[in-house]
Amino acid sequence: MPALSRADNSLIGRWWWTVDRWTLVAIATLIGAGYVMMLAASPAVAERIHQARDVFIFKQVFFLALAGCTVVVVSLLSPKGVRRVALAGCLVALVLTAATLVIGVEIKGARRWIALPGLGLQPSEFLKPCFAVVAAWLIAEGKRPGRFPGLLIAFGVYGLIALLLKSQPDIGMLAVVTAVFFAQLFVNGLNLVLVGIGAGGIAAASVGAYFMFPHVQSRVTRFLDPAAGDNYQVNRALEAFGAGGLFGRGPGEGHVKDVLPDAHADFVFAVAGEEFGLIICVLLLAVFAFIVLRGLLLLVKEHDLFVVLAATGLVSSFGLQAFVNMASTLKLIPTKGMTLPFVSYGGSSVMAIALAMGMLLALTRRRHQGELL
Amino acid sequence: MTRRPTPAAASSGPPPSSPARRFGAPRDASVPRMEHVRVTAPDLLRRAALDKTRSRLVIAAGGFALLFAGVVVKLADATVIQPVKPRVAEIERRPEPPKPDGTPATPAPTPHIHAQRANITDRNGQVLALSLATAGLYANPREMIDLNETTERLKKVLPRLDVETVRAKLGSGKQFIYLARQITPAEQVAINALGIPGIYFEPTERRRYPLGRAAAQVLGEVDVDGKGVGGVERAFDTRLREDSSPLRLSIDVRVQAVVHDELLSAMTQFSAIAACGIVMDVNTGEVIAMVSLPDYDNNEAGKADEDARHNRGVNAMYEPGSTFKLQTAGMALDSGAAQIWSIFDASAPIHIGRFTITDFEGKHRPLYLPEVLAYSSNLGAARMAMAVGTERQRAWLGRMGMFSRIGIELPEAGLPIVPPASNWKDVATMTVGFGHGIAVSPLHVVRGTAALANGGIVLRPTILALPPDVKPQGERIMQQSTSDTVRKLMRLVVTAGYGKPAEVPGYYVGGKTGTAEKVGAHGYKKHTNVSAFMSVFPMNAPRYAVYMMLDEPKATSATHGYSTAGYVSAPAAGKVIARIGPMLGLLPQLDNVAAIEASIAIPLEPGRGSVPMARATPKPLVRPAQTQQPAAPAVPAARDIRHEASFVAPAVTGR
Repeated sequence: MPALSRADNSLIGRWWWTVDRWTLVAIATLIGAGYVMMLAASPAVAERIHQARDVFIFKQVFFLALAGCTVVVVSLLSPKGVRRVALAGCLVALVLTAATLVIGVEIKGARRWIALPGLGLQPSEFLKPCFAVVAAWLIAEGKRPGRFPGLLIAFGVYGLIALLLKSQPDIGMLAVVTAVFFAQLFVNGLNLVLVGIGAGGIAAASVGAYFMFPHVQSRVTRFLDPAAGDNYQVNRALEAFGAGGLFGRGPGEGHVKDVLPDAHADFVFAVAGEEFGLIICVLLLAVFAFIVLRGLLLLVKEHDLFVVLAATGLVSSFGLQAFVNMASTLKLIPTKGMTLPFVSYGGSSVMAIALAMGMLLALTRRRHQGELL
Repeated sequence: MTRRPTPAAASSGPPPSSPARRFGAPRDASVPRMEHVRVTAPDLLRRAALDKTRSRLVIAAGGFALLFAGVVVKLADATVIQPVKPRVAEIERRPEPPKPDGTPATPAPTPHIHAQRANITDRNGQVLALSLATAGLYANPREMIDLNETTERLKKVLPRLDVETVRAKLGSGKQFIYLARQITPAEQVAINALGIPGIYFEPTERRRYPLGRAAAQVLGEVDVDGKGVGGVERAFDTRLREDSSPLRLSIDVRVQAVVHDELLSAMTQFSAIAACGIVMDVNTGEVIAMVSLPDYDNNEAGKADEDARHNRGVNAMYEPGSTFKLQTAGMALDSGAAQIWSIFDASAPIHIGRFTITDFEGKHRPLYLPEVLAYSSNLGAARMAMAVGTERQRAWLGRMGMFSRIGIELPEAGLPIVPPASNWKDVATMTVGFGHGIAVSPLHVVRGTAALANGGIVLRPTILALPPDVKPQGERIMQQSTSDTVRKLMRLVVTAGYGKPAEVPGYYVGGKTGTAEKVGAHGYKKHTNVSAFMSVFPMNAPRYAVYMMLDEPKATSATHGYSTAGYVSAPAAGKVIARIGPMLGLLPQLDNVAAIEASIAIPLEPGRGSVPMARATPKPLVRPAQTQQPAAPAVPAARDIRHEASFVAPAVTGR
């Protein structure tokens, strides 16, 4: 990277000296891992669905490059800019999410996608980070003197989103949005009693989902009782980890990608485990953990409540998504189709994560008195 | 509004206040410089909230650390501590790459699909069928860059490819195309070295029959998918797939070669259209040789015509002709319907219904039972059959297995053509008595004759070699004494009857000729014979049955215009016996010839009063003084199916 003078006062210069470069490097690492895993996993999948071998690679090369640019460009924004982008994004994503119910493409019983030329767009992916920022703003604003009912509005928006996601249905996304919102309230200093009630409420909602949605019920049943039904994918994934061992079979030597339909997307971690082994998987996990823990701990020095809450939301959303993906691939939790940030194939997922990480970097830039240095 | 000393502000206020001394004052006299900082109540609240927020952030970070730690633990568990063993099939599904030296990987990447098919050997371990590891060449044109170039490069390595066909296949838009089913390992390496994308191999195997024609119809062959489609390959398909140890047949290729050799030479000499030869162990039922001509090279089975692929030994149904007279004699003697010196009137043709039965070169006089066999008298056999009666005749033949499939393992084994019981009238009884009006496979005749010779045990013929100490369980269907007598009668046919050309000194051959006129569209065809010689040797202790049959032999000057079994088949049987005897461990017994001959001899007529005269014939037969001329040949009646034993004189001759 070309050295930038401390005295460089340009946009890029100021960005370079204020942005959290450690996190930036970690994100770049993940994008690199995304390239590697795409080369490893997607040709086998493409072949199985009778597409040209390179179709996923070309698409993902483009999206990962675009994602890298998005991260940098968004991280140039000021907190105010982030807020505006998030507000606009939240509105657009809400409208589009509502639109999926009308014009959405139905895949496997759920309407979550809007078909665009060349890719499917899942608006709720974008809704997640944007809502995190908007909720943070509303909560922080509500704490200022005045009568702005920020918290109430935040709950209102949350309720609207929950309704939309339940209708798609996309219970997994709803769970993540809920958990993120809850984490924000928690960090905001929610009364411990209320924390308990909230946790209880989430548990109750989970039980409710179990009884309301057959696909949730089936997945949980299969998780709890392996004999109850088809655990094909997750069992193949576990075999892949077993075959990988400490050092893996070696790049390109994996077999699980030949049999798993989602090897390049939701089960990419299994491909990594088989081909690269425990050590590389732990390193990959460490990168995610690094971004999350560093993000949260750096906020301790932050004085702006909006920044704290927004960053908390973005980081928890990112961390939860990574956790849910890896844990369900490892059969630690019931299967939930969720992408591994930057590593899994998927255009709208990568772009949404890039937006979120860009906003995180923008918010965590070093500032003085709220002004960027 | 409150005023506060700085410490509170110092910790959180944006401008950190620095402790200071009054200028010039000594160190211990210094006091902190007082500052007035304004902190608003909401500000204080915010600060308290931020403090709480910070601790909450740490808790949240701890929570995430726990989650990720959980993933690490599970990850270590799944990869190193308790790795899940992949399913066996999953590993085996991926074929191992060929070894660097070009030989394909050891067979059985997927045992249930591609275990190497077991070899087939003869009884002495000579390999009759084996599988070579080959590769199937297939292509996915969608992955190819230049179809024309690919075609040309493949053609250079595999010249047998047809360029136009390959191009058409590649252009068909399909994603899976077989280009060649069985290529050699060397070709596979060469094609692989071309590095053409979209070209793939799958392990296959090629069935080869190193001895080519030897027992081709018995072995059968496999189809392109390696599935047995005929003969032993089909009968033991599962066994050959699942157990890779060689399958040992009862066939002895040396004997098979001799039978083939002599049969082919006789077939050529007499311009026969087809021939069949069988050698069977009369004590075990093991088929030592089974030849059917014309035959074919089993490695080119696809080019063989139906006629060549026909295993006549088990699949062709012929009227057995006079060889069946041994059965008639056996049933007559065993049932008590006749004794050895019973007399049967062969002086005049028998007219029954529309049919007339005559003798070929008849003696035109009553005949003793041994004479009936030696001269092969149809009239005598017909009368003998009538003495036995329809019931006992059917029961005997049924137990002999003449009405059902032979029971050998070969899938081609056919069903005999037998008159239905309701239609088995006197005429059928008579004609079946000399082997007409019924059609059975050559192996049926061999098995039935073996039972007469081996002491009376009917065996299930087998194509598999039996372990040396195993004595198969057969069914006794006659007294030992009946068998002893029939053996003498068989020997008599060779010493004094039409079977003389089959005699081999020291082997005490016994047998019976059988010449049946073939059935054409309009009844039996004159001079179109199936001429068979059914022999067993050595008669003093029977070991092997030898059956030699020629289909439509043509008379030559050497045979004085005859194409009957005595002239065409019996000599071939004799030659076979002379050659295979030593191979089978039987040396000619040339010591004690007189004693051995005496033990198996029987005169044509009761001589010197030493043999009691039997008088058990149902009809009083008088040796007539006058002889009758045989009836003039009748116009062949419109021929019914053979079941009815329809029959015109002198359409049937037996000798």
